[in-house]
Amino acid sequence: MEQTLAALVSKAHSELSLLKSRVEFEAAKARFVGPNGELTALMKQMGAVPKEQRPAMGRLINEAKAKLQTELEGALARIAEAEIAAQLGPAIDPTLPSPDRGPGTYHPLTLVREEMCRILRKVGFAVADGPEVETEYTCFDALNTPADHPARDAQDTFYLPKETRFGNVSKHTPHERYLLRTHTSSVQIRTMLKGPPPIRIVSPGRVYRRDATDATHSANFHQLECLYVDRNVTVKDLKALLDYIFASLLGKDTKTRFRPHYFGYTEPSFEVDLSARHLPKVNKEWIEIGGCGMVDPIVFDGVGYDSKVWTGYAFGMGLERLAMLLFGIDDIRYFYQNDLRFLRQFA
Amino acid sequence: MKISRNWLQSYVDLASFPDDEISRAITFLGFEVEGVLRTGAPRLDSVFVGEVLTREKHPNADKLSVCSVDVGPQHGTKTIVCGAQNYKVGDRVPVALPGAVLPGNFEIKQSKIRGQSSDGMMCSGRELGVGEDHAGLLILTDRPAVGLPINEVLPAADTVFDIEVTPNRPDCLSHLGIAREIAAFFKRELRYPEIRFTANSVSAGAVESELLRSVRVDSQQDCPLYTAYAIAGVKIGPSPGWMQDRLRAIGLRPINNVVDVGNYVLHEYGQPVHTFDAANLRGRQIIVRPAADGETMTTLDGKERIMDPSMLVIADAERSVAVAGIMGGMDSGISDGTVDLVLEVAIFRRQSVRTTSRRLGLSSDAAYRYERGVDPHSLQEAAHRTLDLILDTAGGKVVGKIHRVGSDVPWQREILLRPEFVNERLGFTVPFEEMKASLESLELSITREETDLETNAVQWTVSIPSWRDDLDRPIDLVEEILRLHGTDRIPSAVVTSPGLLAEDDPLVIFNRKATEYLVGHDFHECVNYTLRSRKEQEDAGGAVDDLVLSNPFVEDQSHLRASLVGGLLESLKLNQARGVVVSRLAEIGRTFLKEGGQLWECATVGFLVAEPVGERNWKSRELDDFYSIKHHLGAIASFAGIDLARQPLASVTSSESGWQPGHACVAGLLSHGWTARFGLLSLSAVKSLGIEGKVYAGVLAVLPEKIPADMKRRRYKPLSIHPPALRDLSVVVDDSKASDEVRKTLAKVTREAVGNAFQLESLQVFDVYKGQGVTEGKKSLAFSLVFRADGRTLTDEEVNAAFQKLQDRLAAIPGYVLRK
Repeated sequence: MEQTLAALVSKAHSELSLLKSRVEFEAAKARFVGPNGELTALMKQMGAVPKEQRPAMGRLINEAKAKLQTELEGALARIAEAEIAAQLGPAIDPTLPSPDRGPGTYHPLTLVREEMCRILRKVGFAVADGPEVETEYTCFDALNTPADHPARDAQDTFYLPKETRFGNVSKHTPHERYLLRTHTSSVQIRTMLKGPPPIRIVSPGRVYRRDATDATHSANFHQLECLYVDRNVTVKDLKALLDYIFASLLGKDTKTRFRPHYFGYTEPSFEVDLSARHLPKVNKEWIEIGGCGMVDPIVFDGVGYDSKVWTGYAFGMGLERLAMLLFGIDDIRYFYQNDLRFLRQFA
Repeated sequence: MKISRNWLQSYVDLASFPDDEISRAITFLGFEVEGVLRTGAPRLDSVFVGEVLTREKHPNADKLSVCSVDVGPQHGTKTIVCGAQNYKVGDRVPVALPGAVLPGNFEIKQSKIRGQSSDGMMCSGRELGVGEDHAGLLILTDRPAVGLPINEVLPAADTVFDIEVTPNRPDCLSHLGIAREIAAFFKRELRYPEIRFTANSVSAGAVESELLRSVRVDSQQDCPLYTAYAIAGVKIGPSPGWMQDRLRAIGLRPINNVVDVGNYVLHEYGQPVHTFDAANLRGRQIIVRPAADGETMTTLDGKERIMDPSMLVIADAERSVAVAGIMGGMDSGISDGTVDLVLEVAIFRRQSVRTTSRRLGLSSDAAYRYERGVDPHSLQEAAHRTLDLILDTAGGKVVGKIHRVGSDVPWQREILLRPEFVNERLGFTVPFEEMKASLESLELSITREETDLETNAVQWTVSIPSWRDDLDRPIDLVEEILRLHGTDRIPSAVVTSPGLLAEDDPLVIFNRKATEYLVGHDFHECVNYTLRSRKEQEDAGGAVDDLVLSNPFVEDQSHLRASLVGGLLESLKLNQARGVVVSRLAEIGRTFLKEGGQLWECATVGFLVAEPVGERNWKSRELDDFYSIKHHLGAIASFAGIDLARQPLASVTSSESGWQPGHACVAGLLSHGWTARFGLLSLSAVKSLGIEGKVYAGVLAVLPEKIPADMKRRRYKPLSIHPPALRDLSVVVDDSKASDEVRKTLAKVTREAVGNAFQLESLQVFDVYKGQGVTEGKKSLAFSLVFRADGRTLTDEEVNAAFQKLQDRLAAIPGYVLRK
């Protein structure tokens, strides 16, 4: 009996170590310790054992049972471990690159536009939008552009045929022509026509000029304009805004300066220069960055604001030009080619 | 426009100001200085005209020569070592003798060069500061007398400012105009030219009065004022050196005394003047009239011009002799043999000159000034100045009648200005005394000052001179005062900004969300031109004939874009062609669509997903398919308040250009505010563009005004914490039947079967099967149904009963067969 038990334990040890799965394990377990198992069969023989030998036999059987239990637990643990290993697969190499796509990229014009909008939102400007197809009234007349101004010529401005009708670009007079807006100033007019002052908007957007495409010109480009209308707005306020914008964008040491200029819709009008010493690829002390001025009373009168009560300023600049300055880009055409090697540089 | 410093000096003393200070003054007066050019020779003592007598090779240096140079009787012949190669014996050249100081503080000394003594230096143009030429000696080809001081030979030094005059300041298209501004800036006196001619200076005589018999103006509107003077007995010859120097400095070529005077006065006063040879005016008369249709004339530049009645000409009794205000005719102008002149000083309407100039493709200094506006009230002064200069330089006398046709309305303009208003607009204080001085210095004189006894407010009456037609309102004077105060002196301040509590435009927010979504999903944001070619619009199925511009600039940018796909494909192609692996591109911009007989400007989001042709990767990833594109489009549509899941979707048909039928989808109607296309782009179309691989795309176009300002706030619905009951069901339908239709039918049937007892929480298709066990032409759709009840656990019995009921009802619908 003692030998039989020892043989059973030894057999279990060698068989269990070969098991590969839980199914095999369960079968083996039944074979050894199940109701019809070999150990159970041996225990059934207890009845035939003389009474005085029973305690010794019982001890032997219990010992064998404990050994079998240990063997079974060991086998189960080994199987569980093998299962986890199989689930995990081979170890990773943390230095291999991800096979997934690289990250997406914002276009540099979007980056610059959004940065400007963020800067302006901080001082209360909301972002406004307006149509790119415009009317002569909104793009020129309402902005005090004389009827014979060269900017209106078919040589400089894109027009749509007289018979073109637009469902969602409103006209001021039935016979005016549609055109592609030459500046985002038209958004100022639409905003003022929509509601009463005070107003504080920034309007970025695409504009069109009938120009040959070269390193610095493009048939369409982007502008950003600010309009502020309130009581008692002064030239000093305008200068403060420009100083704030460019200090935010380029650092505290950035300075702006105004030079008198002429625009039909502002009086006085200025061109804005930026101290440029720290900008890449600029070998000048000052670089022109935009135009601005105090909104001309004629413009207010035209949109139905009382020019004796309301004052304001407007500022506009080219986004491509700004992006070119910020990033040191020397050809405007790169913005419109969308070469990924270009786009990825600004992410 | 070019402005000569020497010329300015005639009107305002600028001797103490260096060039860059004058340049700065011009800039801060409001005229951009586009260039500063130095011309002529500076003061050069001890530099003379010399003639090379002999030239021998230097004994100790291959590249040097030893020359003997005659520097005139006073200095004799000098031995000079020279390294230049471009001269020969007999040439006359500038010679700097010891003691001369050349530009750059370069002093010439007696020296020894490689053992050979040299008594001076023969000079190049650059060494003398008269140009950039340093290729060799400045050869004096005019052969001036040997020994003359070089300053008598070379033009005097001058600085020329190339400035841009803004359109509101036609009065500054002249040296006097700019001088007036600079004088005001530096607070200097402005000296006008002395005018000697008066109406009494005219000689009367029977013969002389015949030089110009009559002037007739047929088109008063286009020529409001025409004056003409006859001058008899001039002698044509070169104009004086000072005048030639000034004309040359501003880039004009001296021609003869009479023509030069005309140009001089134009650039002095900004008033164009024109001279005719009186002998060439047939019938001795001048007629200002519209050109006849097809009338031709050869203008002074030698080109034949064909005219029409929209153009104004100056004619004699037989033919036109000048295009009014633009350019004279070839055979009526001044020649060497001219003896008698007719001088025209006139005002032509701006629009008329501009139109004619544009139509003829002919511009001139005169036309430029007329287009911008010439002051009729300064006309007579300019005319008299011209006469003085002609008589001074060409002799002769003014004879006969002074013709003057038309009239100028007398000029008077006053602006009432409260000086305090200036400071209110500026936001900082300029003292009244400074304002007064500034206005006066611009000849804006304060003719009256009143003080309101109650408020103590001061008001000035400011008289505006005729040439300042741009000044009309108090705000215009604010600018004048600020210009002279200095726009660089505007004090800095902090932005004070009360919040406006305004939100960004809904379209801006939509664009921002769409961009962020796409970039967040690894798309590269592109920007393409809005103007596209006709072909691309045709390929994209755009409303080609409606989208064409009336005046395109180049042929391949003739149409507004109807889709963003064309541009994105172009970007894809460019990257592929450059060997750059590209897969995901997106653009956010405007497109222009036709609907209901008119065009609509749409806010549009487009994206494409291409096979990453050329990509090599150690581990491959599954490519996107139609359903990934649908996912992106649905997400983007939701930013515009559109729930794509609730919209009818249809496969594109073959009529939808650009898309692959059976593999792409069309949704929405522009008449409802939006429209979308998404799926696979036509394989053949993409291939014909030279693009490799499959390309999926999605485009959503929304009317900007339909984008909701704020999404509705949702209300919370309580959640059941009880377990769900799950059931699966397969139904066999025609292959052509849309799965969503089956799903909707099943949902409806299920809700009817369940009633209010509990809820169908979700219904998802989880398998689509065709093949063995399913009849040809049919498909099996498997759905998973999730039921749940509020407040209790569902029993098998009630779910089974409902499930049986819905299966029975479904099986009763024609075309629906339950699969067991």
